[in-house]
Amino acid sequence: MIKPVIYAVALRNLLGHLRRTMLTVGAIAVGLSALIFLWSFNDGLHRNMLQNFQDAIIGSIQIHHEGFFERPELSRHLRNPDKIITTVEQAGVKRWSRRLEAFALAASDETTEGVMLIGMEADREPGITDLEKRISIGRFLREDDEYACILGATTARNLKLDLGDPVIMIGYDRFGALVAEEFTLVGIITSGEMGLDRGMALTNIKSLQEMLDMPGGVTDIVLRAPEDGIQQLTDELIFALSDENVEVMPWSTMFPVMNEWIILHDGFLYLFLVVVLFIVLAGELNTMLLSMLERTREFGIFMAIGTERYEIGLMLVFEALFIGLAGTLLGIIFGTGIVLVTHSTGIDLSILLGSTSRFYVDSLIYPHLNLDHLGTTVGAILIASIVAGLYPAWKASRLQPVEAMRNV
Amino acid sequence: MIQPDNSSAIITVKKLHKCYWVGSMPFPALNGVNLSIDRGEFAVLAGRSGSGKSTLLNVIGALESADNGEVIVNGENILGMNHTERTLFRLHNIGFVFQSYNLIRVLSARENIAYVCQLQGMEKKESEGNADHWLNEVDMGHLGYRRPDQLSGGQQQRVAVARALATNPKIVLADEPTANLDTKTGQKLMCLLQQLNDKFGTTFLISSHDPDVKNAASRLIKLADGQVVRKWEKIPPTTPPLSKACPIKNLPFTQRVRQFLRDKRKRSSQKDKKGPTPRRS
Ligand SMILES: Nc1ncnc2c1ncn2[C@@H]1O[C@H](COP(=O)(O)OP(=O)(O)OP(=O)(O)O)[C@@H](O)[C@H]1O
Ligand SMILES: [Mg+2]
Repeated sequence: MIKPVIYAVALRNLLGHLRRTMLTVGAIAVGLSALIFLWSFNDGLHRNMLQNFQDAIIGSIQIHHEGFFERPELSRHLRNPDKIITTVEQAGVKRWSRRLEAFALAASDETTEGVMLIGMEADREPGITDLEKRISIGRFLREDDEYACILGATTARNLKLDLGDPVIMIGYDRFGALVAEEFTLVGIITSGEMGLDRGMALTNIKSLQEMLDMPGGVTDIVLRAPEDGIQQLTDELIFALSDENVEVMPWSTMFPVMNEWIILHDGFLYLFLVVVLFIVLAGELNTMLLSMLERTREFGIFMAIGTERYEIGLMLVFEALFIGLAGTLLGIIFGTGIVLVTHSTGIDLSILLGSTSRFYVDSLIYPHLNLDHLGTTVGAILIASIVAGLYPAWKASRLQPVEAMRNV
Repeated sequence: MIQPDNSSAIITVKKLHKCYWVGSMPFPALNGVNLSIDRGEFAVLAGRSGSGKSTLLNVIGALESADNGEVIVNGENILGMNHTERTLFRLHNIGFVFQSYNLIRVLSARENIAYVCQLQGMEKKESEGNADHWLNEVDMGHLGYRRPDQLSGGQQQRVAVARALATNPKIVLADEPTANLDTKTGQKLMCLLQQLNDKFGTTFLISSHDPDVKNAASRLIKLADGQVVRKWEKIPPTTPPLSKACPIKNLPFTQRVRQFLRDKRKRSSQKDKKGPTPRRS
């Protein structure tokens, strides 16, 4: 049985050395709130990046004919697009769009350049991507456009094309026969992202179907879903479409590099967490050891008048626990406070990044509090601060009363 | 030599040896100490600096172990105990008064006393009542809320005395309790200790250089080089005349002691002169 007076004395020790207690608590709080903020900033950045990445062109999930992603050939077009769309809608997805994709050679009077020619549904596409917003010159596709075309800024420059100029697209239909059509350039995309500005041409799906002689032909169905529901939706669709010969691919499968980049980034934060943990641990260990050494004589007295070893140890562990809890609590309050404020105002990175986005990162970032990461951080700091109390507690409990009392 | 009477002895020490090791050099601090102290005695341990007084008190108080010999305190063999047993033995049997007061800094006078009571298992409320009682007993009732650094040395030592007695110990061990106090305060403290010894019958064993303290003893044990070199027998009870030795309280026991000493001195001086024995008026 632990005597309550031990806790009372521990509390007295904390209050009796208020300045030191506050400093240690403050150090933990600062470390923790910095971590909470950084992690939230990181999470906000990732969310923003993933959002922009999916918004750019690929969407959250794509459904193709089996093997199309590996080798995008027209023969691998979707056999039953209408049925797939019914299934998708049944799964509760409202934001979907059909696409028809084919390699083509874009030719101007000057030169040629290979492009991926994507036929899109002009009315549905803005629900999936923000291509419409990235048009720098001209306009986005309209439903009633015939053989209208949008190019990335780099491709347009290479081809020396201006708005309204004709572009010849040369390709193969699904039987391998050469086909060609004249398109009119109605818009130019400037995004800052390599994949969009170069090697891509957009047109109406109808025009492309006509050109390739594939009425109703569809190679991709692109879906947009909230980030945290993507995996579940994917599994659901794979199950529901198991009879169809299709592949259901979330963005992370199509572009694992992006996912790895995020994992790497999180890894850096874990590293940072370890560094902060180490600082907290060392800082508190230092305080607790100092306070233990400073009180050696007093521990001798405590023992002389009948306090048992384990009670001395408990006293110090309780002090460390209190400091850890108080520091953690304050850290949570500060940290989440900063995150909440910056979450509503956003953090402007334009000084660092310039005003255009780079690698799918906007210049205004909204930190986002991820509860998993909050839990990890808080748990780690709390444990570290308690661990820091164990060694001094053990040391103190090993003291010999007479020797300890000889200490001045 | 007085043979220890084991039936009434509360402390019995036989052939006690203890060496300190400084590096590989043995440093004998106790060299075969034999002594016995009866219940309710007010014994004083005298001897020069380095004679082993503190060491002996620490061993008897189960604060330190020894190398050889036997120490029986209140019927228990101290030297055979482990760390925890010794701690609990101290808690329930011994009250300590140290030269440098040794109160807990962060606790008030009252809390210092209540702390040991609570260690003994007393409830908080009860322990506080007990603390107040003992503060009054040492005339510190009005300053119980102060922390040690807000008290004078003499006041701190009174609180320490109250703390030593609050656990109702069988023995109070005091290692030079007056050494840090001025003469007058030291005298007052000794009066207090004697009064408490008288009132509660607690056995006291006090080490000191102070002649005042030695004069107050019911038994004096003198140490030199870790050995008992001289023991005084108990002072026979005498009828006390009025004395001004204890200015704060009228203490029959102290008065008796002082009277006894005065008589003894007179007697010995007369023996020297070989003159007629004068009578007390
Ligand atoms: N921790 C120690 N290490 C080595 N030697 C010690 C230690 N403690 C005491 N001694 C030695 O043991 C002997 C007895 O010491 P002790 O403290 O018991 O003397 P004392 O009679 O209390 O002296 P004082 O009147 O100065 O307090 C001394 O010679 C001292 O030097
Ligand atoms: Mg000493």
